[in-house]
Amino acid sequence: MCKQCELKPVIILSNSKKGLCRSCFFRYFERKFNKTISQFKLIEPDEKIGVAVSGGKDSLSLLYLLNKIREKRRFRIEALLIDEGIKGYRDKTIMDAKRFCRELGTKLTIVSYKGEFGYTLDQMLKKLKIKPCSICGVFRRYLLNKYSRKLKFDKLATGHNLDDEVQTILMNQFRSNQEISARLGPITGIKDSEKFVRRIKPFYLITEKETTTYAYLKNFNIPFCECPNNTQAYRIEVRNFINNFEQRYPGTKHSIINSFLEILPSLKEKYRNYEEIKYCRKCKEPSSKEICQTCELRNKIR
Amino acid sequence: MVKVFVEKENKRINLRAKDIDEIMKKLNINKEEVIIVKNNELTPRNERLKNSDELKFLSVISGG
Repeated sequence: MCKQCELKPVIILSNSKKGLCRSCFFRYFERKFNKTISQFKLIEPDEKIGVAVSGGKDSLSLLYLLNKIREKRRFRIEALLIDEGIKGYRDKTIMDAKRFCRELGTKLTIVSYKGEFGYTLDQMLKKLKIKPCSICGVFRRYLLNKYSRKLKFDKLATGHNLDDEVQTILMNQFRSNQEISARLGPITGIKDSEKFVRRIKPFYLITEKETTTYAYLKNFNIPFCECPNNTQAYRIEVRNFINNFEQRYPGTKHSIINSFLEILPSLKEKYRNYEEIKYCRKCKEPSSKEICQTCELRNKIR
Repeated sequence: MVKVFVEKENKRINLRAKDIDEIMKKLNINKEEVIIVKNNELTPRNERLKNSDELKFLSVISGG
């Protein structure tokens, strides 16, 4: 029974084993979301927050909640969607995103690979012998930053949840990528950079089971839709490993996040100098090399 | 027989089982990766099943 009101629970929280009924779960979820924003100072009054939406349950739940609190916290929101051009997948999720934004009255900007680079991802994959996720990782990040700046967003909110972050932390550990871990956390990017829009993750402390439960109970009607190009074999293996571990030792994911948050300031301090932004010689966008990965990839596609 | 739907694989099957845990074991489903809907109600704990029950395993994993 729900610990608070003795009704039938809709979820058992994995870290505390506490069962919550529908209305207590909504209260728990929204409180956690609000607390994350306050605790990590993710949003300041009068800011314009871009919301990166894919049309999936996490990003649309995020849009719904940011829209719900924007008046009280005095900020504005707009949605941004990157259309890679993946037939049978993105075209479907775009419909859900459009419907959702229409219902909320939120402005949605759609930027496509085709319009920006001349080809859809499907077309690029026919030209290049390269893993699709490597293309998307580079192009999507590039477009999100470029258009966040064009649309004058102060920050860009993404639907990354606790599970996403735990997977990335462990993947970086297993591959000894501490420098990349230093760039993680609930708020990322460099302060006061003209060219780089900071990213925020208001679902940082919320599990994907919780976001799915929330979207289901709110009747968002977002069907499960998997990218046909999902080649992130390593991430999937790490995810299975963590989920098996969590099933046997509940609370593992929360422990990983909590210990990571403790060492994150030290990591950021250690790699502070690496964070200095350089700019691509060709496109003038932020880059770690002289020519950015986006320009390198574009060259190969031509 | 219990009517079962597994969203991730878009699979519909009929199974005989005494409870939800038995079905999850049979289908090798990790409880971390699904939310369970029994007769249109979220059901987070193991429950006994009877004939004509409907069970859905909805995927919590984001699609990429």
